[in-house]
Amino acid sequence: MMRLLAFILLLFVGLFTNAQNTEREKEKDSVIALSEVKLISVVKKKIETEMKMAVSVDEFLASSENISFIKRGAYAWEPLLNNMSSERSTITIDGMHVFGACTDKMDPITSYVESNNLSAIDIKSGQEGNMHGATVAGSIDLKRKSTPFGLSKKWNGAYQTGYEFNNKHFFNLANASYSSDKFVADGSLAYRNAENYSDGNNDEVNHSQFTKFNASLGLAYKTSALSSVKLEAIYDEAKDVGYPALPMDLWLSRALITSATYKQVFENGLFKALDTKIYFNAIEHYMDDTTRPENLVHMDMPGWSTTYGLLSKANIKKNRFSSEIQLNAYNNLSTAEMRMYPQDRSERTMFAYSWPGVTTTFAGLSINNAWEISDKSQLNFGGSLGINYNHSKYVEFNWIFHPGTPQEKTRILPSLHAGYQLDINNFNFSVGGGYGHRAPSVSEGYGYYIYNSFDRYDYIGNPDLDNEISYEGNASAGYKDDKFTIQANVNYFYIENYIIGRILSLGSPMNYQSIGVKGYTSLDYSTLFNFSLNGSYSILDNLHWNGTLTYARGKDENENNLPFIRPLSYQTSLHYQYHKLSFQTSINGDLEQIHYSPEYGEDQTPSYTIWNLSADYTFRLKNHKTVVQVGAENVLNEYYSTYADWGNIPRMGRNIFTSLKFNF
Amino acid sequence: MKKSIFFVTAILIAVTSCTLDKTDYESEISTIVTEHFEYSEVVSFNKNDYQISIEALNGTFYKGFNDFRLKIINTQTNESLNTSEVTFLPVITNYNGNNSSCPHRYNLDYNSTEEYYSGYAVFTSYSTDSENWKLHLSFTDNDQIYTIAEEIIVEEQINMNLNMTTFTGSDGEQYFIALIAPQKPRIAENELVAGIYRYDQPSDEAGTFPDPSQFSYSEVSDYTLLLDPRMPEPSMGNHSSPNNEDLLQDDDGLYHGIVNYTMTGNWTLNFRMQNQYGEILKGTEVSTEFTPGIEGTRSDLHIDILF
Ligand SMILES: [Cu+2]
Repeated sequence: MMRLLAFILLLFVGLFTNAQNTEREKEKDSVIALSEVKLISVVKKKIETEMKMAVSVDEFLASSENISFIKRGAYAWEPLLNNMSSERSTITIDGMHVFGACTDKMDPITSYVESNNLSAIDIKSGQEGNMHGATVAGSIDLKRKSTPFGLSKKWNGAYQTGYEFNNKHFFNLANASYSSDKFVADGSLAYRNAENYSDGNNDEVNHSQFTKFNASLGLAYKTSALSSVKLEAIYDEAKDVGYPALPMDLWLSRALITSATYKQVFENGLFKALDTKIYFNAIEHYMDDTTRPENLVHMDMPGWSTTYGLLSKANIKKNRFSSEIQLNAYNNLSTAEMRMYPQDRSERTMFAYSWPGVTTTFAGLSINNAWEISDKSQLNFGGSLGINYNHSKYVEFNWIFHPGTPQEKTRILPSLHAGYQLDINNFNFSVGGGYGHRAPSVSEGYGYYIYNSFDRYDYIGNPDLDNEISYEGNASAGYKDDKFTIQANVNYFYIENYIIGRILSLGSPMNYQSIGVKGYTSLDYSTLFNFSLNGSYSILDNLHWNGTLTYARGKDENENNLPFIRPLSYQTSLHYQYHKLSFQTSINGDLEQIHYSPEYGEDQTPSYTIWNLSADYTFRLKNHKTVVQVGAENVLNEYYSTYADWGNIPRMGRNIFTSLKFNF
Repeated sequence: MKKSIFFVTAILIAVTSCTLDKTDYESEISTIVTEHFEYSEVVSFNKNDYQISIEALNGTFYKGFNDFRLKIINTQTNESLNTSEVTFLPVITNYNGNNSSCPHRYNLDYNSTEEYYSGYAVFTSYSTDSENWKLHLSFTDNDQIYTIAEEIIVEEQINMNLNMTTFTGSDGEQYFIALIAPQKPRIAENELVAGIYRYDQPSDEAGTFPDPSQFSYSEVSDYTLLLDPRMPEPSMGNHSSPNNEDLLQDDDGLYHGIVNYTMTGNWTLNFRMQNQYGEILKGTEVSTEFTPGIEGTRSDLHIDILF
């Protein structure tokens, strides 16, 4: 084992790599942000991975080394940033807060967008991600496509279709935009339909099908030479989605995400741009267990989440100093119900709220500054201060476990971070630190008998939980030249009042599958360590190698392992280009999970290795760029499940995929 | 442009109206339970120059605990009596002519602020064709005693939260436990109020009917009613709730405790009645095991409720 580790390390060090300077990229990003508000066209990284050009949002996110996923099926994976669950990160769409309506986390925000209405995903680690609100793990901002005014080519569009053989996943994605000097319109349509997938033993995994429809529309109007208004909407509908790892499926989930934005750019003066957005989104989520006749109890579990919000951003730049100030405010109402049906259906149904009408109101101001000390070094620093207010409409539900707990709770959430980066010739270094608070999520604070099928406990929220406080340090070092790059990133979190479920000696389970009741409690502290190593090497002009190695370790106050911490994992890929043909192959896998957590329902997950292959061909069809791709994931049809597969459900076996993309 | 805005607005309206309606929590509980706040007249009788009227919640006597207000008005002077000695005795006669009563307050208290005589009765059954309740009242005015015997109707109590039970304790005495509150429980901590009564075995031979010494009941003092609420529904697997408190006697003579209901539906209040010496007079300890699919066994002293 150690030998293998050493070998892989050697491989990385030996082969050097394309030191993709992440810090440097961030720097570029802020420039892009500025030029974006100046309404200038910016070509962004496409939403596709090395292996696959037609990917889901989840697959795209998975290509980032600090994201891992809890998977409950083939659909709507829960992104973990820095090995922390989704309540520890802020996930936004263009800075807008959207909150899922499912108590069982069937609907992370990433499930409400489609790859063809996004232009990029902005991932920030730790307190650097405090721009959109309080966080511990960092932020994931899904950037929507936004076509600039006055393009020479007025109409643009793309159509993508494909078929994945393993689960008969058929998809059609189309998007089009119109751009004139005064008016811009963006639209997209997407439809996906998949049946059950099969695992590496060619056994069908029941309840893993999904159907998703997504549409988006954006209309922008230039109100003056330096200002514009924009109206945007996303509509997403998922129907008949199976969650093989859960005791329930989804009948219907619908989301409407709308916003109106006003942008003003200034040519002179300190302020460069002002960007104000008001938004509204509503989600409804209806689970369905009629597909599971084996369940002892039939129950309805609908959930709703409605959010109103405002965000206003100003960019300031003076000489070598630039600054971004953002005001965030939102109000969310989350309600979830459960209704259990007795065996004798003529008897009275049993009703309770799993989220008893919980309001979260947040207002915060964030400032991030970049000071270019010299051409070689830069200091980034910033902070935010937020007020988080919770109100439980039916606080009497919370009183059952926490007698007399107040109906309202106000928290102050501060955040600070600073980082220094230095470039010397081909080398780059960075070091930084952060401090920040986060408020408990709706489930952690106010959840009521929410069944967790992973450890098989019913979870009870605690409104009196203290803020989770994170102290973090990070560092990176890299090297880059024309042929190879290598980049190492490391971060360490010391999290005070770490929120996690602990067995309660009170009460008894409500859900029949459950074995006990857990209450969210604060550990004194826990620690998390993340490490990643990235490398790339241009072996020939048309042959490139890429590799990633990640390692993480999470421990609680008693040195016990935290759950859902990714074991040592690796990914290595080769890309070969021959005229209009290109070939990709990659190998990825996790080593055996040594540091698993039986206390939180984990068992040891064995190692696995997956081999993928793909080839694509680019050609012109009546002067339109067209790409066809054929490939296979898990070529060797390995039977495996990862450390973060809920209930050890097996992953997909061999999957041959084809897709076609047509641009006009 | 206008069309698009129209389109967006149309979707907005379509989506913001939910596909399935949210549950109205308040009316959810009201589908099963009606709560009564208003006292209104149940019966009124005339005796000579006096009019006697009895008010109870919802203008009805129900099986179980009934709090009532009695007023006596002199119809000549139109004044209500306030210095009278008022006695109250309900008697039921069954089909073979046996008489019995039920826990009640015999000497009514006068409430001078609200100006009525207050009492209670815990009717042990509701009126049927063959079994009828009769009220035997007496009052005094100007040193004269007036007695009345009038039939009343006792209705079945639909609200199971006001159920009652009768049993014989291990001390050989006959006991009555009647639920008084909450009338309309919530999924919450509920203050649970019950009355515990004992039939006083008469020591003397019966005198002229109705002889109150034959129909005497007392409020039991210094007992403890140990509580373990559970859901009887088999699929709920003997589910219980946390933070319940046993019922102890308060200044009002009634027993007060805390019951937490975690969801609506059928619940069983499993009791064990303990006397002042710590002896269990009735009731068995129930299993705390979670047994999905199997109905939990009830205590042999229990009251079923539903909300
Ligand atoms: Cu759900």
